[in-house]
Amino acid sequence: MGPLITQGIIAENWNFILAFVIGIGFGFVLEQAGFSSSRKLAGVFYGYDFVVLRVFFTAAITAMTGMIFFHYFGWIDLDLVYVNPTFLTSAILGGVIMGMGFIVGGFCPGTSMCGAAIGKIDAMVFFASLFVGIFIFGETYSMWEELMYAGSLGPRKVFDTLNMSQGLFALLLIVVALVAFYITARIEKAATKVEY
Amino acid sequence: MNKKYLFLSGLLIVLGIIMAFLPAKKYGVQISPENLLLELTDDTRFVSTDEVALYLIEADPQVQLIDVRTPEEFELFSLPGAVNVPMDSLLNPNFEPYVDQVGMKTVLYSNGSVYASQAWMLYRRKAYSNIYIMKGGLNEWVETILKPIAPAATSPKEAFDLYDTRVAASQFFGGGSVVVAPNSSSGSKPAVQRKKKKAAKGGC
Amino acid sequence: MAKSINTMKNKPSKYMNPYLAGVLLGLVLLAAFYFTGRGLGASGAVKSTLASVVTSVAPDHAANSHFYEHYTKQDENPIKAWLVFEIIGALFGALISGTIAGRLKLKVEHSPKISSKTRLFAAAIGGLLFGLGSQLGRGCTSGAALSGMAVLSTAGFISMLAIFGTAYMFAYFVRKLWI
Repeated sequence: MGPLITQGIIAENWNFILAFVIGIGFGFVLEQAGFSSSRKLAGVFYGYDFVVLRVFFTAAITAMTGMIFFHYFGWIDLDLVYVNPTFLTSAILGGVIMGMGFIVGGFCPGTSMCGAAIGKIDAMVFFASLFVGIFIFGETYSMWEELMYAGSLGPRKVFDTLNMSQGLFALLLIVVALVAFYITARIEKAATKVEY
Repeated sequence: MNKKYLFLSGLLIVLGIIMAFLPAKKYGVQISPENLLLELTDDTRFVSTDEVALYLIEADPQVQLIDVRTPEEFELFSLPGAVNVPMDSLLNPNFEPYVDQVGMKTVLYSNGSVYASQAWMLYRRKAYSNIYIMKGGLNEWVETILKPIAPAATSPKEAFDLYDTRVAASQFFGGGSVVVAPNSSSGSKPAVQRKKKKAAKGGC
Repeated sequence: MAKSINTMKNKPSKYMNPYLAGVLLGLVLLAAFYFTGRGLGASGAVKSTLASVVTSVAPDHAANSHFYEHYTKQDENPIKAWLVFEIIGALFGALISGTIAGRLKLKVEHSPKISSKTRLFAAAIGGLLFGLGSQLGRGCTSGAALSGMAVLSTAGFISMLAIFGTAYMFAYFVRKLWI
Protein backbone atom coordinates (compact mmCIF):
# COMPACT_ATOMS: atom_id res chain seq x y z
CA MET A 1 0.00 0.00 0.00
CA GLY A 2 1.24 3.44 -0.87
CA PRO A 3 2.88 5.85 -0.39
CA LEU A 4 5.52 3.30 -1.24
CA ILE A 5 8.60 5.12 0.05
CA THR A 6 7.02 6.42 3.24
CA GLN A 7 5.89 2.88 4.01
CA GLY A 8 9.34 1.51 3.29
CA ILE A 9 8.09 -0.70 0.43
CA ILE A 10 10.55 0.93 -1.93
CA ALA A 11 13.99 1.70 -0.53
CA GLU A 12 14.76 5.29 0.36
CA ASN A 13 17.55 5.58 -2.22
CA TRP A 14 15.01 5.22 -4.99
CA ASN A 15 13.59 8.50 -3.82
CA PHE A 16 15.83 10.74 -5.89
CA ILE A 17 15.57 8.61 -9.01
CA LEU A 18 11.79 8.72 -8.74
CA ALA A 19 11.98 12.46 -8.12
CA PHE A 20 13.85 12.83 -11.37
CA VAL A 21 11.44 10.67 -13.35
CA ILE A 22 8.38 12.37 -11.87
CA GLY A 23 10.04 15.70 -12.59
CA ILE A 24 10.42 14.78 -16.25
CA GLY A 25 6.71 14.09 -16.43
CA PHE A 26 5.97 17.35 -14.65
CA GLY A 27 8.12 19.47 -16.95
CA PHE A 28 6.95 17.69 -20.07
CA VAL A 29 3.27 18.18 -19.35
CA LEU A 30 3.69 21.82 -18.31
CA GLU A 31 5.53 22.62 -21.50
CA GLN A 32 3.09 20.67 -23.65
CA ALA A 33 0.20 22.57 -22.08
CA GLY A 34 1.83 25.85 -23.07
CA PHE A 35 2.92 26.91 -19.60
CA SER A 36 6.30 27.93 -20.96
CA SER A 37 4.73 31.04 -22.49
CA SER A 38 4.08 33.92 -20.13
CA ARG A 39 1.57 35.56 -22.44
CA LYS A 40 -0.44 32.36 -22.59
CA LEU A 41 -0.36 32.13 -18.81
CA ALA A 42 -1.40 35.75 -18.37
CA GLY A 43 -4.35 35.12 -20.65
CA VAL A 44 -6.32 33.76 -17.74
CA PHE A 45 -6.33 37.22 -16.17
CA TYR A 46 -7.50 39.05 -19.29
CA GLY A 47 -9.92 36.48 -20.60
CA TYR A 48 -8.21 35.60 -23.85
CA ASP A 49 -6.79 32.24 -22.82
CA PHE A 50 -7.97 30.13 -19.90
CA VAL A 51 -5.46 27.34 -20.30
CA VAL A 52 -4.12 27.87 -16.77
CA LEU A 53 -7.50 27.40 -15.18
CA ARG A 54 -8.27 24.34 -17.29
CA VAL A 55 -4.99 22.54 -16.70
CA PHE A 56 -4.79 23.53 -13.05
CA PHE A 57 -8.33 22.54 -12.17
CA THR A 58 -8.30 19.34 -14.21
CA ALA A 59 -5.00 18.28 -12.66
CA ALA A 60 -6.18 18.97 -9.11
CA ILE A 61 -9.41 17.05 -9.72
CA THR A 62 -7.69 14.13 -11.42
CA ALA A 63 -5.19 13.77 -8.58
CA MET A 64 -7.88 14.22 -5.95
CA THR A 65 -10.20 11.66 -7.57
CA GLY A 66 -7.32 9.25 -7.97
CA MET A 67 -6.34 9.57 -4.35
CA ILE A 68 -9.85 9.12 -3.04
CA PHE A 69 -10.33 5.95 -5.09
CA PHE A 70 -6.82 4.67 -4.36
CA HIS A 71 -7.55 5.15 -0.68
CA TYR A 72 -10.84 3.34 -0.98
CA PHE A 73 -9.25 0.37 -2.76
CA GLY A 74 -6.51 0.28 -0.14
CA TRP A 75 -3.68 1.21 -2.52
CA ILE A 76 -2.67 4.33 -0.66
CA ASP A 77 -3.06 5.48 2.92
CA LEU A 78 -4.20 9.08 2.75
CA ASP A 79 -3.19 9.58 6.38
CA LEU A 80 0.43 9.16 5.36
CA VAL A 81 0.27 11.66 2.53
CA TYR A 82 1.73 15.04 3.34
CA VAL A 83 -0.90 17.68 3.93
CA ASN A 84 0.56 21.17 4.02
CA PRO A 85 -0.34 22.79 7.32
CA THR A 86 -2.60 25.80 7.26
CA PHE A 87 -1.27 29.05 8.64
CA LEU A 88 -3.99 31.51 7.80
CA THR A 89 -2.07 34.78 7.94
CA SER A 90 1.01 33.68 6.07
CA ALA A 91 -0.96 31.69 3.49
CA ILE A 92 -3.07 34.73 2.59
CA LEU A 93 -0.26 37.29 2.77
CA GLY A 94 2.14 35.01 0.90
CA GLY A 95 -0.57 34.34 -1.66
CA VAL A 96 -1.14 38.06 -2.16
CA ILE A 97 2.57 38.70 -2.73
CA MET A 98 2.76 35.72 -5.08
CA GLY A 99 -0.32 36.95 -6.93
CA MET A 100 1.35 40.30 -7.58
CA GLY A 101 4.50 38.50 -8.67
CA PHE A 102 2.41 36.36 -10.99
CA ILE A 103 0.67 39.21 -12.77
CA VAL A 104 3.82 41.32 -13.06
CA GLY A 105 6.26 38.55 -13.89
CA GLY A 106 3.89 36.34 -15.85
CA PHE A 107 5.25 33.09 -14.45
CA CYS A 108 5.24 31.02 -11.33
CA PRO A 109 8.36 29.15 -10.26
CA GLY A 110 7.48 25.89 -12.00
CA THR A 111 6.42 27.47 -15.26
CA SER A 112 9.38 29.88 -15.35
CA MET A 113 11.67 26.90 -15.19
CA CYS A 114 9.79 25.37 -18.11
CA GLY A 115 10.10 28.55 -20.11
CA ALA A 116 13.77 28.83 -19.24
CA ALA A 117 14.34 25.27 -20.44
CA ILE A 118 13.14 26.12 -23.94
CA GLY A 119 15.02 29.39 -24.16
CA LYS A 120 12.66 32.11 -22.95
CA ILE A 121 14.98 34.80 -21.62
CA ASP A 122 12.23 36.46 -19.57
CA ALA A 123 11.64 33.10 -17.88
CA MET A 124 15.34 32.83 -17.07
CA VAL A 125 15.32 36.30 -15.53
CA PHE A 126 12.22 35.41 -13.53
CA PHE A 127 13.80 32.18 -12.33
CA ALA A 128 17.01 33.97 -11.30
CA SER A 129 15.00 36.59 -9.43
CA LEU A 130 13.36 33.85 -7.42
CA PHE A 131 16.73 33.29 -5.76
CA VAL A 132 16.98 36.99 -4.98
CA GLY A 133 13.47 37.04 -3.53
CA ILE A 134 14.07 34.00 -1.35
CA PHE A 135 17.45 35.38 -0.30
CA ILE A 136 15.85 38.67 0.76
CA PHE A 137 13.25 36.73 2.68
CA GLY A 138 15.99 34.72 4.37
CA GLU A 139 17.90 37.86 5.34
CA THR A 140 14.83 39.55 6.76
CA TYR A 141 13.45 36.35 8.24
CA SER A 142 13.29 37.66 11.80
CA MET A 143 10.85 40.27 10.53
CA TRP A 144 8.51 37.63 9.13
CA GLU A 145 8.92 34.94 11.73
CA GLU A 146 5.97 35.98 13.85
CA LEU A 147 3.72 36.33 10.81
CA MET A 148 4.82 32.92 9.58
CA TYR A 149 3.30 31.16 12.54
CA ALA A 150 0.22 33.29 13.12
CA GLY A 151 -3.23 31.81 12.58
CA SER A 152 -2.10 28.20 12.75
CA LEU A 153 -4.80 25.63 12.06
CA GLY A 154 -2.49 22.62 11.61
CA PRO A 155 -2.71 20.25 8.65
CA ARG A 156 -6.41 20.88 8.13
CA LYS A 157 -8.44 19.38 5.34
CA VAL A 158 -10.77 21.73 3.56
CA PHE A 159 -13.85 19.53 3.95
CA ASP A 160 -13.32 19.49 7.71
CA THR A 161 -13.05 23.26 7.69
CA LEU A 162 -16.29 23.47 5.74
CA ASN A 163 -17.81 20.73 7.87
CA MET A 164 -18.83 18.32 5.15
CA SER A 165 -17.75 14.87 4.01
CA GLN A 166 -14.76 14.39 1.75
CA GLY A 167 -16.82 12.85 -1.02
CA LEU A 168 -19.41 15.59 -1.03
CA PHE A 169 -16.71 18.23 -1.24
CA ALA A 170 -15.12 16.35 -4.14
CA LEU A 171 -18.43 16.30 -5.97
CA LEU A 172 -18.95 20.01 -5.36
CA LEU A 173 -15.46 20.80 -6.58
CA ILE A 174 -16.13 18.86 -9.78
CA VAL A 175 -19.36 20.75 -10.35
CA VAL A 176 -17.66 24.09 -9.72
CA ALA A 177 -14.88 23.15 -12.11
CA LEU A 178 -17.28 22.14 -14.86
CA VAL A 179 -19.26 25.35 -14.49
CA ALA A 180 -16.00 27.32 -14.57
CA PHE A 181 -14.90 25.47 -17.71
CA TYR A 182 -18.17 26.27 -19.43
CA ILE A 183 -18.23 29.94 -18.47
CA THR A 184 -14.60 30.57 -19.33
CA ALA A 185 -15.04 28.92 -22.70
CA ARG A 186 -17.81 31.43 -23.42
CA ILE A 187 -15.70 34.34 -22.22
CA GLU A 188 -12.77 33.20 -24.29
CA LYS A 189 -14.92 33.10 -27.41
CA ALA A 190 -16.11 36.65 -26.82
CA ALA A 191 -12.70 38.07 -25.91
CA THR A 192 -10.49 39.74 -28.47
CA LYS A 193 -7.90 37.36 -29.72
CA VAL A 194 -4.35 38.05 -28.69
CA GLU A 195 -1.55 36.84 -30.89
CA TYR A 196 1.49 35.52 -29.11
CA MET B 1 -20.79 22.95 -26.80
CA ASN B 2 -18.74 20.12 -28.10
CA LYS B 3 -20.30 16.69 -27.66
CA LYS B 4 -17.16 14.99 -26.41
CA TYR B 5 -16.82 17.51 -23.59
CA LEU B 6 -20.43 16.95 -22.61
CA PHE B 7 -19.74 13.23 -22.40
CA LEU B 8 -16.58 13.76 -20.34
CA SER B 9 -18.39 16.15 -18.01
CA GLY B 10 -21.08 13.53 -17.44
CA LEU B 11 -18.42 10.95 -16.68
CA LEU B 12 -16.76 13.24 -14.18
CA ILE B 13 -20.05 13.96 -12.45
CA VAL B 14 -20.74 10.25 -12.15
CA LEU B 15 -17.31 9.78 -10.59
CA GLY B 16 -18.06 12.66 -8.25
CA ILE B 17 -21.36 11.13 -7.16
CA ILE B 18 -19.66 7.79 -6.52
CA MET B 19 -17.07 9.61 -4.40
CA ALA B 20 -19.78 11.38 -2.47
CA PHE B 21 -21.17 8.02 -1.41
CA LEU B 22 -17.93 6.16 -0.78
CA PRO B 23 -17.75 5.16 2.86
CA ALA B 24 -14.81 6.57 4.80
CA LYS B 25 -11.97 4.18 5.43
CA LYS B 26 -9.20 4.28 7.94
CA TYR B 27 -5.97 2.34 7.75
CA GLY B 28 -3.68 1.99 10.71
CA VAL B 29 -0.04 1.71 9.89
CA GLN B 30 1.17 -1.71 10.84
CA ILE B 31 4.43 -3.52 10.88
CA SER B 32 4.51 -6.84 9.07
CA PRO B 33 4.79 -10.04 11.16
CA GLU B 34 8.06 -10.88 9.38
CA ASN B 35 9.67 -7.62 10.43
CA LEU B 36 8.33 -7.99 13.92
CA LEU B 37 9.91 -11.44 14.19
CA LEU B 38 13.17 -10.02 12.93
CA GLU B 39 13.13 -7.39 15.64
CA LEU B 40 12.22 -9.98 18.26
CA THR B 41 15.25 -12.07 17.46
CA ASP B 42 17.77 -9.36 18.16
CA ASP B 43 18.35 -7.67 21.47
CA THR B 44 18.37 -4.05 20.40
CA ARG B 45 14.96 -3.50 21.97
CA PHE B 46 16.45 -3.76 25.46
CA VAL B 47 18.15 -1.05 27.43
CA SER B 48 19.88 -1.95 30.66
CA THR B 49 19.01 -0.48 34.03
CA ASP B 50 22.42 1.19 34.03
CA GLU B 51 21.55 3.01 30.83
CA VAL B 52 18.21 4.11 32.24
CA ALA B 53 19.96 5.34 35.39
CA LEU B 54 22.31 7.36 33.22
CA TYR B 55 19.37 8.91 31.30
CA LEU B 56 17.75 9.91 34.56
CA ILE B 57 20.92 11.32 36.12
CA GLU B 58 21.62 13.33 33.01
CA ALA B 59 17.94 14.28 32.79
CA ASP B 60 18.06 13.32 29.12
CA PRO B 61 15.18 15.19 27.48
CA GLN B 62 15.08 12.67 24.64
CA VAL B 63 13.88 9.81 26.82
CA GLN B 64 10.35 9.11 27.96
CA LEU B 65 9.83 6.42 30.55
CA ILE B 66 6.53 4.55 30.50
CA ASP B 67 5.41 2.56 33.52
CA VAL B 68 3.01 -0.19 32.41
CA ARG B 69 2.14 -1.42 35.92
CA THR B 70 -1.11 -0.71 37.73
CA PRO B 71 -1.78 2.80 39.04
CA GLU B 72 -1.54 1.49 42.62
CA GLU B 73 1.93 0.14 42.03
CA PHE B 74 2.84 3.34 40.26
CA GLU B 75 1.72 5.39 43.25
CA LEU B 76 3.87 3.29 45.51
CA PHE B 77 7.06 3.56 43.54
CA SER B 78 8.03 4.75 40.11
CA LEU B 79 11.03 6.07 38.30
CA PRO B 80 11.35 9.85 38.09
CA GLY B 81 9.58 11.37 35.10
CA ALA B 82 7.78 8.16 34.19
CA VAL B 83 4.23 8.24 32.88
CA ASN B 84 1.87 5.54 34.04
CA VAL B 85 0.15 3.70 31.19
CA PRO B 86 -1.44 0.60 32.76
CA MET B 87 -1.68 -2.51 30.59
CA ASP B 88 -5.41 -2.10 30.03
CA SER B 89 -4.91 1.46 28.78
CA LEU B 90 -2.04 0.73 26.40
CA LEU B 91 -4.19 1.59 23.42
CA ASN B 92 -5.94 4.51 25.06
CA PRO B 93 -5.51 7.39 22.62
CA ASN B 94 -4.92 9.81 25.50
CA PHE B 95 -1.57 8.19 26.14
CA GLU B 96 -0.55 7.97 22.52
CA PRO B 97 1.26 11.32 22.56
CA TYR B 98 3.48 10.10 25.40
CA VAL B 99 4.37 6.83 23.77
CA ASP B 100 4.71 7.97 20.19
CA GLN B 101 6.74 11.16 20.31
CA VAL B 102 8.92 12.79 17.71
CA GLY B 103 12.59 12.01 18.19
CA MET B 104 12.01 10.52 21.64
CA LYS B 105 13.21 7.24 22.98
CA THR B 106 10.35 5.51 24.76
CA VAL B 107 11.46 3.08 27.48
CA LEU B 108 8.85 0.72 28.85
CA TYR B 109 9.20 -0.94 32.20
CA SER B 110 7.22 -3.18 34.53
CA ASN B 111 8.20 -5.18 37.59
CA GLY B 112 9.92 -7.82 35.51
CA SER B 113 10.28 -7.81 31.75
CA VAL B 114 7.14 -9.68 30.78
CA TYR B 115 4.52 -6.93 30.77
CA ALA B 116 6.90 -4.42 29.28
CA SER B 117 7.67 -6.91 26.51
CA GLN B 118 3.99 -7.39 25.81
CA ALA B 119 3.50 -3.66 25.64
CA TRP B 120 6.51 -3.41 23.34
CA MET B 121 4.98 -5.97 20.98
CA LEU B 122 1.74 -4.09 20.92
CA TYR B 123 3.37 -0.76 20.20
CA ARG B 124 5.62 -2.16 17.53
CA ARG B 125 2.56 -3.70 15.96
CA LYS B 126 1.19 -0.17 15.81
CA ALA B 127 4.47 0.74 14.12
CA TYR B 128 5.57 3.20 16.79
CA SER B 129 9.28 3.62 16.51
CA ASN B 130 12.03 4.04 19.09
CA ILE B 131 10.36 1.81 21.65
CA TYR B 132 12.59 0.05 24.18
CA ILE B 133 12.24 -2.18 27.20
CA MET B 134 14.16 -1.76 30.43
CA LYS B 135 15.73 -5.16 30.80
CA GLY B 136 14.74 -6.94 34.00
CA GLY B 137 12.30 -4.23 34.97
CA LEU B 138 12.12 -2.67 38.41
CA ASN B 139 13.33 -5.86 40.10
CA GLU B 140 16.56 -5.53 38.22
CA TRP B 141 16.55 -1.81 38.97
CA VAL B 142 16.45 -2.47 42.70
CA GLU B 143 19.13 -5.13 42.49
CA THR B 144 21.53 -3.21 40.33
CA ILE B 145 20.93 0.46 40.96
CA LEU B 146 19.36 0.85 44.37
CA LYS B 147 21.11 -2.01 46.19
CA PRO B 148 24.17 -2.81 44.17
CA ILE B 149 26.08 -5.81 45.43
CA ALA B 150 29.82 -5.42 45.70
CA PRO B 151 31.63 -7.73 43.31
CA ALA B 152 33.81 -10.49 44.69
CA ALA B 153 37.37 -9.47 45.38
CA THR B 154 38.56 -11.59 42.49
CA SER B 155 36.37 -9.85 39.95
CA PRO B 156 37.91 -7.97 37.05
CA LYS B 157 38.37 -4.23 37.26
CA GLU B 158 35.32 -3.54 35.05
CA ALA B 159 33.07 -5.10 37.65
CA PHE B 160 34.38 -2.70 40.24
CA ASP B 161 33.99 0.28 37.93
CA LEU B 162 30.43 -0.73 37.30
CA TYR B 163 29.88 -1.16 40.99
CA ASP B 164 31.24 2.31 41.68
CA THR B 165 28.95 3.95 39.18
CA ARG B 166 26.06 1.96 40.58
CA VAL B 167 26.82 3.10 44.09
CA ALA B 168 26.95 6.66 42.83
CA ALA B 169 23.67 6.16 41.04
CA SER B 170 22.19 4.59 44.10
CA GLN B 171 23.06 7.67 46.08
CA PHE B 172 21.51 9.80 43.38
CA PHE B 173 18.28 7.88 43.54
CA GLY B 174 17.97 8.00 47.29
CA GLY B 175 20.77 5.86 48.60
CA GLY B 176 20.73 2.26 49.52
CA SER B 177 17.10 1.68 50.27
CA VAL B 178 14.07 1.47 48.10
CA VAL B 179 12.48 4.82 48.40
CA VAL B 180 8.76 4.49 48.60
CA ALA B 181 8.42 8.21 48.69
CA PRO B 182 5.27 9.56 47.10
CA ASN B 183 6.81 10.28 43.79
CA SER B 184 7.52 13.92 43.51
CA SER B 185 7.91 13.74 39.78
CA SER B 186 4.33 12.92 38.97
CA GLY B 187 3.40 16.51 39.77
CA SER B 188 5.16 17.88 36.75
CA LYS B 189 4.20 15.82 33.79
CA PRO B 190 6.83 15.92 31.09
CA ALA B 191 6.04 18.17 28.18
CA VAL B 192 4.81 16.29 25.18
CA GLN B 193 5.74 17.02 21.64
CA ARG B 194 2.76 15.99 19.61
CA LYS B 195 3.77 13.60 16.95
CA LYS B 196 3.22 14.65 13.43
CA LYS B 197 2.01 11.66 11.49
CA LYS B 198 4.78 10.05 9.61
CA ALA B 199 3.80 11.76 6.40
CA ALA B 200 6.66 12.68 4.16
CA LYS B 201 8.00 16.18 4.32
CA GLY B 202 6.61 18.10 1.46
CA GLY B 203 6.19 21.60 0.33
CA CYS B 204 7.06 23.58 -2.65
CA MET C 1 -0.31 15.58 -47.01
CA ALA C 2 3.12 16.76 -48.07
CA LYS C 3 2.06 20.27 -47.34
CA SER C 4 0.96 19.51 -43.81
CA ILE C 5 4.27 17.84 -43.05
CA ASN C 6 5.96 20.89 -44.41
CA THR C 7 4.05 23.25 -42.18
CA MET C 8 4.78 21.02 -39.24
CA LYS C 9 8.45 21.35 -39.88
CA ASN C 10 8.47 25.10 -40.00
CA LYS C 11 5.87 26.04 -37.46
CA PRO C 12 5.96 24.91 -33.88
CA SER C 13 3.28 22.32 -33.30
CA LYS C 14 0.22 23.27 -31.33
CA TYR C 15 -0.09 22.95 -27.61
CA MET C 16 -1.78 19.95 -26.11
CA ASN C 17 -5.48 20.00 -25.36
CA PRO C 18 -5.58 21.69 -21.93
CA TYR C 19 -7.95 19.13 -20.42
CA LEU C 20 -5.78 16.26 -21.60
CA ALA C 21 -2.72 18.07 -20.25
CA GLY C 22 -4.57 18.58 -16.99
CA VAL C 23 -5.38 14.89 -16.68
CA LEU C 24 -1.76 13.98 -17.44
CA LEU C 25 -0.49 16.51 -14.91
CA GLY C 26 -2.95 15.10 -12.40
CA LEU C 27 -1.59 11.59 -13.04
CA VAL C 28 1.99 12.82 -12.54
CA LEU C 29 0.88 14.40 -9.29
CA LEU C 30 -0.91 11.21 -8.28
CA ALA C 31 2.23 9.22 -9.03
CA ALA C 32 4.24 11.61 -6.87
CA PHE C 33 1.83 11.06 -4.01
CA TYR C 34 1.63 7.32 -4.53
CA PHE C 35 5.38 6.77 -4.56
CA THR C 36 6.69 9.37 -2.18
CA GLY C 37 3.71 10.64 -0.22
CA ARG C 38 4.25 14.21 -1.28
CA GLY C 39 3.21 16.39 -4.14
CA LEU C 40 5.12 18.38 -6.69
CA GLY C 41 6.90 21.63 -6.06
CA ALA C 42 9.23 24.20 -7.48
CA SER C 43 10.14 27.03 -5.11
CA GLY C 44 11.38 24.55 -2.50
CA ALA C 45 14.07 23.46 -4.92
CA VAL C 46 15.19 27.07 -5.35
CA LYS C 47 15.33 27.46 -1.60
CA SER C 48 17.39 24.29 -1.19
CA THR C 49 19.83 25.42 -3.84
CA LEU C 50 20.10 28.84 -2.27
CA ALA C 51 20.58 27.27 1.16
CA SER C 52 23.33 25.11 -0.28
CA VAL C 53 25.12 28.19 -1.61
CA VAL C 54 24.66 30.23 1.55
CA THR C 55 25.71 27.45 3.90
CA SER C 56 28.89 26.85 1.95
CA VAL C 57 29.79 30.49 1.26
CA ALA C 58 28.89 31.88 4.67
CA PRO C 59 28.39 28.97 7.09
CA ASP C 60 28.46 31.23 10.16
CA HIS C 61 25.86 33.50 8.72
CA ALA C 62 23.62 30.55 7.86
CA ALA C 63 24.06 29.05 11.30
CA ASN C 64 22.85 32.27 12.86
CA SER C 65 19.72 32.47 10.76
CA HIS C 66 16.51 30.70 11.70
CA PHE C 67 15.69 30.59 8.04
CA TYR C 68 18.52 28.16 7.23
CA GLU C 69 18.19 26.34 10.53
CA HIS C 70 16.64 23.30 8.96
CA TYR C 71 19.54 23.01 6.54
CA THR C 72 22.46 23.74 8.84
CA LYS C 73 21.32 21.09 11.29
CA GLN C 74 21.49 18.24 8.84
CA ASP C 75 24.79 16.79 7.70
CA GLU C 76 23.94 16.46 4.08
CA ASN C 77 24.27 19.22 1.57
CA PRO C 78 20.87 20.91 1.28
CA ILE C 79 20.99 20.56 -2.48
CA LYS C 80 20.46 16.82 -2.05
CA ALA C 81 16.74 17.33 -1.70
CA TRP C 82 13.81 15.61 -3.34
CA LEU C 83 12.54 18.78 -4.98
CA VAL C 84 15.92 19.64 -6.47
CA PHE C 85 16.01 16.32 -8.29
CA GLU C 86 12.41 16.75 -9.31
CA ILE C 87 13.13 20.19 -10.75
CA ILE C 88 16.19 18.97 -12.64
CA GLY C 89 13.91 16.30 -14.08
CA ALA C 90 11.33 18.93 -14.95
CA LEU C 91 13.95 20.96 -16.80
CA PHE C 92 14.72 17.89 -18.90
CA GLY C 93 11.03 17.17 -19.40
CA ALA C 94 10.34 20.69 -20.62
CA LEU C 95 13.38 20.55 -22.88
CA ILE C 96 12.21 17.25 -24.38
CA SER C 97 8.73 18.61 -24.94
CA GLY C 98 10.03 21.85 -26.41
CA THR C 99 12.35 19.97 -28.74
CA ILE C 100 9.62 17.64 -29.99
CA ALA C 101 7.25 20.56 -30.56
CA GLY C 102 9.96 22.67 -32.18
CA ARG C 103 9.66 25.49 -29.68
CA LEU C 104 13.32 25.76 -28.71
CA LYS C 105 14.25 29.35 -29.35
CA LEU C 106 16.16 31.98 -27.45
CA LYS C 107 13.83 34.94 -27.16
CA VAL C 108 12.12 37.43 -24.92
CA GLU C 109 8.38 37.04 -25.15
CA HIS C 110 6.52 40.26 -24.60
CA SER C 111 3.49 42.26 -25.61
CA PRO C 112 4.07 44.44 -28.69
CA LYS C 113 3.29 47.47 -26.55
CA ILE C 114 6.36 47.12 -24.37
CA SER C 115 10.05 46.69 -25.07
CA SER C 116 12.09 43.63 -24.22
CA LYS C 117 13.79 45.64 -21.52
CA THR C 118 10.51 46.45 -19.81
CA ARG C 119 9.50 42.83 -20.02
CA LEU C 120 12.75 41.65 -18.46
CA PHE C 121 12.44 44.26 -15.73
CA ALA C 122 8.89 43.14 -14.98
CA ALA C 123 10.01 39.52 -14.96
CA ALA C 124 12.74 40.35 -12.47
CA ILE C 125 10.31 42.16 -10.17
CA GLY C 126 7.78 39.36 -10.53
CA GLY C 127 10.34 36.70 -9.73
CA LEU C 128 11.49 38.61 -6.69
CA LEU C 129 7.96 38.97 -5.37
CA PHE C 130 7.15 35.36 -6.13
CA GLY C 131 10.28 34.15 -4.38
CA LEU C 132 9.48 36.18 -1.31
CA GLY C 133 5.80 35.24 -1.28
CA SER C 134 6.49 31.55 -1.75
CA GLN C 135 8.53 31.50 1.43
CA LEU C 136 5.94 33.35 3.43
CA GLY C 137 3.13 31.24 1.98
CA ARG C 138 5.05 27.95 2.44
CA GLY C 139 5.06 27.03 -1.20
CA CYS C 140 4.21 28.28 -4.64
CA THR C 141 1.48 27.48 -7.12
CA SER C 142 2.67 23.91 -7.59
CA GLY C 143 3.66 23.03 -4.06
CA ALA C 144 1.10 24.86 -1.98
CA ALA C 145 -1.83 25.44 -4.29
CA LEU C 146 -1.86 22.49 -6.73
CA SER C 147 -0.52 19.75 -4.46
CA GLY C 148 -2.49 21.21 -1.57
CA MET C 149 -5.71 21.15 -3.55
CA ALA C 150 -5.10 17.56 -4.63
CA VAL C 151 -4.96 16.41 -1.00
CA LEU C 152 -7.83 18.77 -0.19
CA SER C 153 -5.81 20.73 2.35
CA THR C 154 -7.32 23.98 3.53
CA ALA C 155 -3.98 25.69 2.98
CA GLY C 156 -4.00 24.65 -0.68
CA PHE C 157 -7.35 26.27 -1.36
CA ILE C 158 -6.47 29.44 0.55
CA SER C 159 -3.19 29.78 -1.34
CA MET C 160 -4.92 29.22 -4.66
CA LEU C 161 -7.61 31.81 -3.95
CA ALA C 162 -5.07 34.31 -2.62
CA ILE C 163 -2.71 33.96 -5.56
CA PHE C 164 -5.29 34.09 -8.32
CA GLY C 165 -7.54 36.56 -6.54
CA THR C 166 -4.72 39.06 -6.13
CA ALA C 167 -3.54 38.55 -9.68
CA TYR C 168 -7.05 39.30 -10.93
CA MET C 169 -7.26 42.42 -8.78
CA PHE C 170 -3.99 43.79 -10.07
CA ALA C 171 -4.46 42.60 -13.64
CA TYR C 172 -6.11 45.85 -14.71
CA PHE C 173 -3.21 48.01 -13.56
CA VAL C 174 -0.54 46.13 -15.44
CA ARG C 175 -2.57 45.25 -18.53
CA LYS C 176 -0.08 47.04 -20.76
CA LEU C 177 2.44 44.37 -19.96
CA TRP C 178 0.28 41.72 -21.57
CA ILE C 179 -2.37 42.98 -23.98
